[in-house]
Amino acid sequence: MKRVALVGAGQSRYGDFPDKGIKELFLEAYKDMVVSVDRGYDPKMVESAYIGNLGSGGFQLGNMSALVSEYVGLPHINTMRIENACASGGYALVAAIMDVMSGAHKVAIAGGVEKMTDVSGTKQKYWLGVSGDTEYERLAGTTFAGLYALIAQRHMHEFGTKREHLSMVAVKNHKNGAQNPKAQFQREITLEQAMKGPIVAAPLNLFDCCSTTDGASAVLVVDAEMAKQFTDTPVYVAGFGTSSDYLAIHDRVSTVTLEGSKKASSRAYEMAGLGPKDMQVAEVHDCFTIAELLAYEDLGFCEKGRSGQFLEEGHTQLGGDKPINPSGGLKSKGHPIGSTGTGQAYEMFNQLRGTVQRPTRQVKGAEIGLIHNVGGSGGTVSVTILRR
Amino acid sequence: MAHVSVPMYWRTIPQRYKMVGQKCKKCGHVNFPPKGVCKYCSASSDFEEVKLSGLGKVHTFVLISAGGAPPEFAEQEKAGGQYPVAIVELAEGPKVIGQVADVDPKSIAIGMPVKTELRRIYSEEGVIRYGFKFVPAEGK
Amino acid sequence: MPIGISGYAAYIPKFRIKKEEYAKAWGSFAAAGVAEKSVMGFDEDVLTSAAKVAKRGLESVPLAPEKVSRFALASTSAPYVEKLLSGTVLVSVGIPGTAFCSDHTSSTRAGTEAMIAALEHMMASSSGRAVVVAADAPSASMWDTIEHPMGAGAASFVLSNEDLIAEVEAYACFASEYLGERFKPKDEETLHDLNVKKYEEGSLLANTIKSGNAILKMLNRKPEDYQHVVIQQPDARVPSTVAARMGITDAQLASGLVVKSVGDLGAASTLVGLAAVLDAAKVGDKILVISYGSGAASDALSLKVMSDRKSPFKVQAELERKEYIDYVKYLKIKGAIV
Repeated sequence: MKRVALVGAGQSRYGDFPDKGIKELFLEAYKDMVVSVDRGYDPKMVESAYIGNLGSGGFQLGNMSALVSEYVGLPHINTMRIENACASGGYALVAAIMDVMSGAHKVAIAGGVEKMTDVSGTKQKYWLGVSGDTEYERLAGTTFAGLYALIAQRHMHEFGTKREHLSMVAVKNHKNGAQNPKAQFQREITLEQAMKGPIVAAPLNLFDCCSTTDGASAVLVVDAEMAKQFTDTPVYVAGFGTSSDYLAIHDRVSTVTLEGSKKASSRAYEMAGLGPKDMQVAEVHDCFTIAELLAYEDLGFCEKGRSGQFLEEGHTQLGGDKPINPSGGLKSKGHPIGSTGTGQAYEMFNQLRGTVQRPTRQVKGAEIGLIHNVGGSGGTVSVTILRR
Repeated sequence: MAHVSVPMYWRTIPQRYKMVGQKCKKCGHVNFPPKGVCKYCSASSDFEEVKLSGLGKVHTFVLISAGGAPPEFAEQEKAGGQYPVAIVELAEGPKVIGQVADVDPKSIAIGMPVKTELRRIYSEEGVIRYGFKFVPAEGK
Repeated sequence: MPIGISGYAAYIPKFRIKKEEYAKAWGSFAAAGVAEKSVMGFDEDVLTSAAKVAKRGLESVPLAPEKVSRFALASTSAPYVEKLLSGTVLVSVGIPGTAFCSDHTSSTRAGTEAMIAALEHMMASSSGRAVVVAADAPSASMWDTIEHPMGAGAASFVLSNEDLIAEVEAYACFASEYLGERFKPKDEETLHDLNVKKYEEGSLLANTIKSGNAILKMLNRKPEDYQHVVIQQPDARVPSTVAARMGITDAQLASGLVVKSVGDLGAASTLVGLAAVLDAAKVGDKILVISYGSGAASDALSLKVMSDRKSPFKVQAELERKEYIDYVKYLKIKGAIV
């Protein structure tokens, strides 16, 4: 099997753009990716495009990947839409990796795009509740906020995790996002603000929940043997792993563990021949603050139940020994569902090459990083380990 | 609006109205709601129907405010305020999610005994969907 | 062989609104003798109440639902004008699909109508078992004074030929045509009441006195032979009006006068009143029930208490379990704020 490298990465701004639909957003990310390829390349070299997308902005139900591919000048390639809820992007990356690893193709795009802000609030809430178990979880009256709140409540009960711990995640990620010109929210918040937010689904408040966002991202995935044609500093795929889980939280053995994250990461670590201690920086899926705490545990960065203390001890701050979500995470950067996973790859590509837009966010000397993308409440999880 | 078609909803009536579960003939565990293959032994599709008692204990809970309510429950939240949703560990073993009714939201606690009762869940296309919710149970 | 009630139960939803809340909103409360009334929760309706009270009734015997051969459901405020109502309750309770089920709607007399229909089944096949449920939550426009007394409640009765709590000795009915009283036309949302007072009183008395007197004549009894009398309660004045004309005293009405605490229970009015009477009655007591539904008809039932067995689900316990709400919450729950 072939080694795989990332040689370019682009991302649109994340936010609320009435003047941009999925085509325009994807174009912005695509152009950003093209200019990031140090030596340039001929677009005709691209053979595949895997596009993560959940809702197509509510309008293009079928063939959206063909639509956005031809819009950026790639009308006759192997293109497919990848959908695993919020993990669509992460799985699009894995699909592209497997495509190149298998030798079927040599140059592939892994991208994602989501348009969430041009539908009514009612329709938005429909999306936000249908990647859990619709028949029981949705009809019990929950959206994802409710499901993650159920997890948070149990986590607090089993391990003594505190309200403050949840808010500290939001504060950290907003602090990082304030230094990210492409983030949806570039404003720091205080712990007091984060703790006093209006309740959405107790114990989670407004500041525990990521927003709805428009955005797109794209990375160029190539056979490692040709990587140096594109750049002197490619980022290699060291390993990847994915796992699904029972869709409904109540069907899972443990309410306070995302088994999908555990299995996906252990598969990735095994493929890479590495362990959690080797990860020097990580972008994890903080759709809700509790999700970041779970990620610390399920990815092996700390013991089950100790994520609150781990955060308190400062390990995961920029400047700590395990910086997590230097981009601002989903919380501050935004969460355009289909794009989030490949957006994480965009951030990691720049972190590992030292080319982050604002040097204050740069994790110095990072050579090995992990990206973690979760679908819904953990029904699907994708983990990719990248290294220089 | 959620979209669960009438036939799709109708197929779940044995669970929603009568708490019918599936006992695996191979390993004896009760699957509720049903699975195609037993989720405990992953080895059998052979089940015996069992009617569950509806009794259980709260495993975890959440209080849903307006911002966390799906549109089909928005009116309920506006009329009655925050509503509780719990994952309940049923007496027969499986855990299942359900709204908790007839209770002061401040009094919900992990471990609280509850039982099922038929309630209106929501309405779609003019058709009322009934199903179980949990209410406090005495003692136990 | 005597046929009668072998189990019974009541269910009153816990929300209550006091008459003072209405007075604050409208300046007065137009419901004679009603101090407060019951309100269903947002996620309840007469079918969920019926399922709940039916299960309680079966538990009170106890009788397994699989043994039920006849099911009769009464309500004037069902959520559908056309759709089988019994189906939802049957399936939820576990009564077999082969049991003959009937929906009784169209007037507040429907509760006793269901009771008599089930009695007819029992008389034809005494080895059968019947469940009768009346569950009602009448409503009207918030602008109409007839809305003021409207409450919510349900009662169930298991009919059998053994282990009787009370035997049903006889029943009588009288029906007539009295148009333009309390009515709701097919294509309209709200209940009408033309408020032609004397005319309405005429209908009330004409029908109830006829059915009441027919029973007394059938059994060769006088009004004072009855220790308990339950008369239709759209408010607390109507039963007294009928009682006065029939030589029945307010003392005889006392044990079944639930309206003052729960309001107008529509088709469930006399049956919840009957449950309250059974909770209090002694062996040998005789009970007279007289219902009324506009349009118009009245049923009368005569019962005799055979045992001191009581339901575990007493009306008084239901009345004591309550949570007060204000008028705004009341309007929100009843969907009156559009």
